[in-house]
Amino acid sequence: MNKAIQISTEDQVFELDPSETLLEGLERTGHQVEYQCRSGYCGSCRVTLHSGSVEYQEQPLAYLQDNEILPCCCQPLEPLDISVGLITKKSA
Amino acid sequence: MKYSTFSKIDNDQLKEPMFFGQPVNVARYDQQKYPIFEQLIEKQLSFFWRPEEVDVSQDRSDYRNLPDHEKHIFISNLKYQILLDSIQGRSPNVAFLPLVSIPELETWIETWSFSETIHSRSYTHIIRNIVNDPAVVFDDIMHNQHIIERATDISKYYDDLIQYSLLYTKLGAGTHTVNGKTHEVSLFELKRKLYLCMMSVNVLEAIRFYVSFACSFAFAERRLMEGNAKIIRLIARDEALHLVGTQHIINIMQDGKDDPEMAEVARSCHAESLAMFKHAAQQEKEWAEYLFKDGSMIGLNRGILDQYIEYITNHRMRAVGLEPAFENATHNPIPWINAWTSSDNVQVAPQEVEVSSYLVGQINSEVSIDDLGDFDF
Repeated sequence: MNKAIQISTEDQVFELDPSETLLEGLERTGHQVEYQCRSGYCGSCRVTLHSGSVEYQEQPLAYLQDNEILPCCCQPLEPLDISVGLITKKSA
Repeated sequence: MKYSTFSKIDNDQLKEPMFFGQPVNVARYDQQKYPIFEQLIEKQLSFFWRPEEVDVSQDRSDYRNLPDHEKHIFISNLKYQILLDSIQGRSPNVAFLPLVSIPELETWIETWSFSETIHSRSYTHIIRNIVNDPAVVFDDIMHNQHIIERATDISKYYDDLIQYSLLYTKLGAGTHTVNGKTHEVSLFELKRKLYLCMMSVNVLEAIRFYVSFACSFAFAERRLMEGNAKIIRLIARDEALHLVGTQHIINIMQDGKDDPEMAEVARSCHAESLAMFKHAAQQEKEWAEYLFKDGSMIGLNRGILDQYIEYITNHRMRAVGLEPAFENATHNPIPWINAWTSSDNVQVAPQEVEVSSYLVGQINSEVSIDDLGDFDF
């Protein structure tokens, strides 16, 4: 579990550091991801998961469709492919 | 379905739908059809706060030094929030409680509505501190055209539901003439009114609050009206939770496992739901126009606020299974607002940072052998 996991987004592939959450990783790499509570109850950061799987230490309160994950509190179990893009591209 | 405050028929509450089953008799939480509502209650209780805890004394001199057009922005937003929470502090109880049939949802509605009353009381706390006579602010609300217009739009779904459910409980399905007026009453139509009302509450909490939130935080970014911003952060934290509550209810309804007819109801309300979001976004843009009629504020103007409204509208629509209304609004023009609404570190008093996810008295007393797995013996 303590090793970097590969994350593929719409625009980039990066390694998620074991010490950061997926949300922090997405922010570090300049992705357009919304957030509010950062602890699983508001659901603001939800993104669509295309492949891979995650687990939660505690089931989050936010409503999630079957293909959605919460980057603020999920723990990726394997490489993920998610639908989120870079900020620079979006504002262009 | 006749309402009773304590239904005498022994039933299996786990088999009741969320709404329109047998009214709840025993308030029990040892078994739950939807544990999510009990979790929301616990979270909401852990968020408990009192307006008086927040020191707003510095805001008085800040407010006095604001230019007139910024005073207008500040006070107008407060008035609007007072309106929203006046409605929300009572309406979920009046409209939804008689229709609910599971205890955990019933208690969530009460807990939710109660927290809105804290918000209402906090506005008086803020206003008392910034003006000598709070009545000047409060008395104007009922005479302010821009505010009353939205009040009608928000309360009409509640009022429709309440009136119709009174007819249904009293007279049942069928064609009824009451005081010379003919009503077609059916359970399907009642369910439609409930669904639309829930959607309108979702819109209220998802979009309508956020224009004022943005303005409050824009002041605080300039280190102005910071006491107010602290209170607004606490309110935003609660609202995020309420929003999750309505998102769950709406998604459970759409899914149809709870009540198959509700899924049909949801489909029949699809176009109206879309229109409701678009209409609310439009109204909020008009509100932004009214706010900035005499001038913008630093860091925020009408254009930015319009983009933000479109962006969050899209975001919230997706959460309840609707296609986003605004194709081009794909990025957040004011990303700094997230840092303010981020609530894992809501500061209540200067010396004390309250971690919102902290639950009082939660101890895990079970120790399994796996917990010791990391030890080297």
